[in-house]
Amino acid sequence: MSRSSLDHESLLQLYRSMLRIRLCEEQLAKSHQRGLVHGACHTYVGQEAIAVGVCAHLDKNDAVFSTHRGHGHALAKGVTPEELIAELYGRATGCSRGRGGSMHLFSPEVGMMGTSGIVGPCILQAAGAGYSSKLLKNGAVGVAFFGDGAVNNGAFHEGLNLASIWKLPALFVCENNQFATEVPFSYSAGNPTVASRAASYGMPGAELDGNDVLAIRAAAGEAIARARSGGGPTLLECKTYRTRPHAEGMGDFTYRTREDVEAWKPRCPIKRLREHLLAEKVASEKELAGIEEQMQSEILAAHAAAEKSAPPKASEAATHVYSEPRQVPAVPANAATRETTYMQATLDAIAYEMEKNPAIFVLGEGIGKRGGNFRTTFGLYDRFGPDRLCDTPIAERGFVGLGGGAAMTGARPVIDFMFADFVLDSVGEIINQIAKIQYMSDGRIKMPILLRGCIGIGHSAATHHSGNYYPMYAHFPGLRVVVPSNAYDAKGLLHHALRVDDPVLFLEHRELLSTKSMVPEGDYEIPFGQAAIVREGTDVTVVALALMVHHAQKACDILAKEGVSVELIDPRTVAPLDVDTILKSVAKTGRLLIVDEAFGPYGIGAEIAAQASDRGFDDLDAPIRRLNGVHTPTPYSPSLEAAVVPNLESITQAIRDLVAE
Amino acid sequence: MAIPITVPRLGWNMEQGVFVGWLKADGDTIRVGDSLFTLEGEKAAEDVECLDAGALHIPANAPQPGETVLVGALLGYLLQPGESPPKADSPPMPVAAAAEPAVVKAIASPAIETTPRERPASSPRARRVAEELNVDWKQAKGSGHSGRIREKDVRALAEAGTSFGNATRRLIAERMVASQKATAPVTLVTTVDATELVQFRDRCKANGSAVPSYTDLLVKLCAAALERHPALNARWENDRVVPSAGIRIGIAVDTDGGLLVPVIRDAAKISLAELTVQSRDLIERARAGKLSGKELRGGTFTVSSLGGFGIDAFTPIINLPECAVLGMGRIRRVPVVVDDQIAIRDQVTLSLTFDHRIVDGAPAARFLQTLTKLVEAPTPTLDSLAPSPSGRGLG
Repeated sequence: MSRSSLDHESLLQLYRSMLRIRLCEEQLAKSHQRGLVHGACHTYVGQEAIAVGVCAHLDKNDAVFSTHRGHGHALAKGVTPEELIAELYGRATGCSRGRGGSMHLFSPEVGMMGTSGIVGPCILQAAGAGYSSKLLKNGAVGVAFFGDGAVNNGAFHEGLNLASIWKLPALFVCENNQFATEVPFSYSAGNPTVASRAASYGMPGAELDGNDVLAIRAAAGEAIARARSGGGPTLLECKTYRTRPHAEGMGDFTYRTREDVEAWKPRCPIKRLREHLLAEKVASEKELAGIEEQMQSEILAAHAAAEKSAPPKASEAATHVYSEPRQVPAVPANAATRETTYMQATLDAIAYEMEKNPAIFVLGEGIGKRGGNFRTTFGLYDRFGPDRLCDTPIAERGFVGLGGGAAMTGARPVIDFMFADFVLDSVGEIINQIAKIQYMSDGRIKMPILLRGCIGIGHSAATHHSGNYYPMYAHFPGLRVVVPSNAYDAKGLLHHALRVDDPVLFLEHRELLSTKSMVPEGDYEIPFGQAAIVREGTDVTVVALALMVHHAQKACDILAKEGVSVELIDPRTVAPLDVDTILKSVAKTGRLLIVDEAFGPYGIGAEIAAQASDRGFDDLDAPIRRLNGVHTPTPYSPSLEAAVVPNLESITQAIRDLVAE
Repeated sequence: MAIPITVPRLGWNMEQGVFVGWLKADGDTIRVGDSLFTLEGEKAAEDVECLDAGALHIPANAPQPGETVLVGALLGYLLQPGESPPKADSPPMPVAAAAEPAVVKAIASPAIETTPRERPASSPRARRVAEELNVDWKQAKGSGHSGRIREKDVRALAEAGTSFGNATRRLIAERMVASQKATAPVTLVTTVDATELVQFRDRCKANGSAVPSYTDLLVKLCAAALERHPALNARWENDRVVPSAGIRIGIAVDTDGGLLVPVIRDAAKISLAELTVQSRDLIERARAGKLSGKELRGGTFTVSSLGGFGIDAFTPIINLPECAVLGMGRIRRVPVVVDDQIAIRDQVTLSLTFDHRIVDGAPAARFLQTLTKLVEAPTPTLDSLAPSPSGRGLG
């Protein structure tokens, strides 16, 4: 839509929206000085034209993701000044219910899907929203607002490339205010323009005057129309300047001069539109003064209401870390079973769930036609097509972050990362975004994403294809971490994982993929946090995970002949961890050994031991022992590799030693 | 040199596969890049490319199509011009180089060095079980690593305790000797008219409520008497008399494992009904071996009855560090002179052993005198803090 075709009301609406942001920011700056804002306060003063010009084309079904300077985007997307101000005042009525403050604004009700204190993820999440739109065919667009600081970051590169190759309905809006906090863009970029980089990804790019709301509105309109009609993403670079410090209260003149700032103030986008409206006789001075008065009283009222609001209750400080647990039906007792490999069992589960739930799609390297390196998606491409079995470039941060955005906007991504080692490049996305968003949005955004891949040492895979990593993920709130040891558990746990609304790390030990067990043919769920008592015994409790369960079972057989009765427990999930079942066993046996291929320090065994000595102290008849993989990177040569993992001999001996303790 | 053709590993975890069949015949000339045979792994069947050249030799004992073969198993040879097949087919190549036995050890750093322990190491569970079984874990012989006393050692000790020479017996022996050595015991004996006491108990029976034993009645009366004579409720500690804060009366219970003395707390403050319930519970659990150590400690006075065995009087031994112990004999209906008439009355003999270090003979006698009066007219004391059998209590 060209600027000349805008009607009177649309023009005044642009003016109102920009003014609302400006006055709100001025109020917040004052409130920050008065101590009403408890944490950081990053204002959007000087950049209002960009949020307003872009959001003029969006409705609440379109998903906006933004950065640490996101007040303007939230207001332009429809968050009320009262909700924004109350959030910065730390009140229960804030848009994030007091959980976020300035940098973490969530209002899914109006499609404000979140701002982030981390630079970059919003680009991937907007691409993910685009993926949801493409999959669910709901016509929505994903929009990312980010600063020039984000464009030298891997998320920019990976996100734009993914959006381009899949022609996602997405818009990437770079607000180039010339400083990444204090570091000048002119210093940090080898290519001095952002817009020209669009060509690298095969998408249209445009450089715009970021202080000209009409130009932005026009360019954004064109880009969004293209996105909605299947033409793929666009990169807009909006050159602008923030005329307040990076954050309220921070010194501003160590990296730029007062004169620089003053020189930009006359280029204020609001002043510019005002002059245009008067010059073009769109509105009279009196009419504009009336709008200014109306906006000022709106903001004052919002401030007063926010100040009066109650703080959130301390008792709710840890709610919504996870979704409400599902009621899980019992496994049908008389279901027909057949002997199935671990690999086939998970394939059966995912095929079943994909048939039932059209929102499920799989991302990964070689999971399309090829059917997965470990046959995790074998035959599914032919059944469900390329949008639901989508091969990716080797860009783990990119497609994991994108998956997060898709999960937030109605899809249920399965990220098949082949080897757990590979996904370490995306740990920031998993821990900072995927794990935290249910909590930060007070449970209003769900995060149904499954992250699956192989773990484990064996067959000389060496250090970049052998990691275990589950203790690390189990440490963080917001994640479910599953380590099935057999086909039966793997299938039931995978069905459950694909039905819960929490992010799940589903980690499959590579040495187990061809092991077989009797598995019911239909679907069934095994809920998280329920350990399996693999074998009952009376003398010593052994807790083992994944491959170690198999070794430990053999050790039980050997020890049974020596008269030692071992109770073997497989926790099956390490987050949540079923400590109660372990402690009940220890109450019986008085002895506890944890066998885990993963590293000992700060590991699952350390956690179990701490809880056992705390809650089960009087039950212990011997020290708690751990048998772990050696704390070293995994070597290649069979003789070295064998030396770093517990085996049948070492497990058997550890149990003997513990019984003699 | 003949080049062996062996079963390759097709996937990460493949240990064996199915040999589907040769794609070339015995004697064929094979070039680099030719597909040589088909092998089925975990995921799919694959045609295996030959990476050497030569004439294919398939030995007579080579795997047949459809056979399961181990990774590394020998399938055949490539022979160079003029070369004849090896005479004896060598065994399959090992899957992996033989590794030296490597054993991952449990994480068990050496124990922290400390000065020698005053008492043997013991597991928390062993101590808990010792408390449950009411045995002294310190007497157990540790069978664990470094001599730690473990649950099984405590159980063995308790087991042995049911026969002669058990730990409880040893403990009793030690305590009796200690008492005899430490105290200056004197025993006073008096016979008291217990007619009203018997009548009181009969009323309880008629009333239908929990019927107190004579020991219970005596405990209650002793508590009342001790309130008036606190010297008898004191103890000897660090060479001086220490008054006790409350009145806590131990009752001697005969068990299979030996004498146990569980303690009734606040004997003066609780009602007779409560006391009756408490003592019954303590006695039952003493006999079942289920008392905790706590329930056996902290007494300030003891009542011991041998009346049930037909004993009239005896010299009870003081339960350290208490001051005194009351022995109660059997209650007998005997002819006595009342107002110069022969009457049939219930009589009981009370034996009070006291520690002369703490208290002298006269105060001890005065205590016994008070107790005698309470036994002869027990109703007001026993009815206090009702619900009482006669229904006159405070409720």
